[in-house]
Amino acid sequence: MNKMALIEVKNLEKIYGEEGVETPALRGISFSIEKAEFVAVMGPSGCGKSTLLHILGFLDRHSRGNYLFDGKSIGEYTDDELAAVRNKKMGFVFQMFNLLPRTAVFENVKLPLVYSGIKESLWEEIAMKAVREVGLEHRIFHETAKLSGGERQRVAIARALVNDPQVVFADEPTGNLDSKSGGQIMELIEGLHERGRTVILVTHETYTAEYAERIIRLKDGLIESDLRVSARHHKGDRFIK
Amino acid sequence: MMKIKYILKTTFAGLRNNKSRAALTILGIVIGITSIMLIMSLGKGAQDLILSQVQSFGAKTIVVHPGRRPESLMSSAQMMNADSLRERDLNELKKKTNAPHVVKVEPLNVGGATAVYENETYGATILGGGEYLQEIYDIRLKEGRFINLDDIQSHADVVVIGSKVKEELFGGDEAIGQKIRMKNRNYRVVGILQKKGQSFISFDETAILPYTTAQTYVFGIKYFHHIIAEVDSEDAVDAAIKDIEITLRNNHNITDPTKDDFWIVTQQTAIEQVKTITNVLTLFLIAVAAISLVVGGVGIMNIMLVSVTERTREIGLRKAVGATNGNIMAQFLTEAIFLTGLGGIIGIILGASFSLIAALVLSKVVGLDWIFTFPISATFLGLGVSAGVGFLFGLYPARQAAKKSPIDALRYE
Repeated sequence: MNKMALIEVKNLEKIYGEEGVETPALRGISFSIEKAEFVAVMGPSGCGKSTLLHILGFLDRHSRGNYLFDGKSIGEYTDDELAAVRNKKMGFVFQMFNLLPRTAVFENVKLPLVYSGIKESLWEEIAMKAVREVGLEHRIFHETAKLSGGERQRVAIARALVNDPQVVFADEPTGNLDSKSGGQIMELIEGLHERGRTVILVTHETYTAEYAERIIRLKDGLIESDLRVSARHHKGDRFIK
Repeated sequence: MMKIKYILKTTFAGLRNNKSRAALTILGIVIGITSIMLIMSLGKGAQDLILSQVQSFGAKTIVVHPGRRPESLMSSAQMMNADSLRERDLNELKKKTNAPHVVKVEPLNVGGATAVYENETYGATILGGGEYLQEIYDIRLKEGRFINLDDIQSHADVVVIGSKVKEELFGGDEAIGQKIRMKNRNYRVVGILQKKGQSFISFDETAILPYTTAQTYVFGIKYFHHIIAEVDSEDAVDAAIKDIEITLRNNHNITDPTKDDFWIVTQQTAIEQVKTITNVLTLFLIAVAAISLVVGGVGIMNIMLVSVTERTREIGLRKAVGATNGNIMAQFLTEAIFLTGLGGIIGIILGASFSLIAALVLSKVVGLDWIFTFPISATFLGLGVSAGVGFLFGLYPARQAAKKSPIDALRYE
């Protein structure tokens, strides 16, 4: 094991506490993910898979246990450092797309650049490259509300790519799409992995999960299984929902 | 580091999407700034108007009042009855050895009486004065002559009347040589003043008598309400004041200056007094208008809080892609300041326009010597205050926005 773990969690717990009632979402899970790995997190709804992804992506904080990102414990990051890591090392793709309302494609893709410290004169070029990767160069000045679901998710992927992140988090990226668009999105996500990025995909669909190299199954906040995928799906395979 | 240009662009786009809401939100600020601009402009205009009338006294004029120097504006009316200035004071002040810089000295008595001519009556302001009054107050005659030394020495029953008095009593008829009746005594009209319009003393409504005549027959007193002195040069005013003080103290056997039974007003002190009064009034009115700014500010805060709630998902997303708390705070603060700043600019423009209209009405319709002024300081004040209101009332909503955790914001429905 020469590869260094990008993500390492030990006995990770997340407890939601509202009005005195404590609801555990994650009840002590441990695993590590290496750089450039493609991992799917699966499980029925309520198993804690989205919670896990949010914690791994610095969007939420865990309650107990330890989380090391890039060898550094999350507790050692300040708020601004967390924001900087999210900006430069992470990309997010959500089920609900989460694009800015009433805003053109190009502006959405540029959004992470705004917080990156990169000179504004370079934004166009960098954003254009990301837009080309998802094949939306003919749509850059369209408002996102006028795009189809698949196109919107491609905008989100372009936005996730624009700062050239180490790791891309995808939370049910095909959940709101038909199988044709879903297939295209999965091909794009596989492409990200092929170009050396770590991809962590949350899904409840077995077929989608089988694009990954490894599947972690969660149940009731615990890891049920952590297996390598023997027969992976690839680009060109017919996507089945 | 987030780019200012980007923040402004985002802010502008946000406002464009909510035009009518933005307009209603800033209305309070617009009204507040408009009122303050209007008050500042009108306050300055009024001050200039009064000052120009004070200046018409001339910088070389000194007015001596009887009694103790009034502590407040209210008590100055009572001082009119103080009887410490008398003929002997006048004569002493006329002596070159006592007050070498004083070139003219004239007493003045002021009161009111009903003037009657045939069936017409008019409530006139009675001035008891002397020959120099005409020069000191720059009074112009339309017909006839002014009061002269003979009139004063002989207690002559002659009167010089203002244009309004002439019009009310005589209409279009000849007045010179006619007799008008005041306090059971007849006075022959020897002069008529030119119409002067609004000024510090409304000469149009006066009937001017020799002060000896006025003292004896109209007021029944042996003292003066004022003694007016003119000095040979502006530089000599301070020296002349000293001379007058010494002369009057000698005359009145006063050794302790705090026990003076007279007080002296010069153009300079009158100007300062007018400035003090008008500044206090203006400040007071501005304070009242500022209340609307507070109300406007609360309106801004309210709508910003609504906006923060509405845009919870957007805030979460921005944080997810790397916005720091500071970035979010800056964005919402900029938005608030931009809103109020815009309100401020509109307010300044409206305030200036209304002031101009008011100035036109006051000068053309009312007939005052009103000059439109819009202090440049008001513009900066307006901009500064409105931006400050935005900052102050935007702070809380911006903090609320910055405090949101990215996941709570993203999950928000």
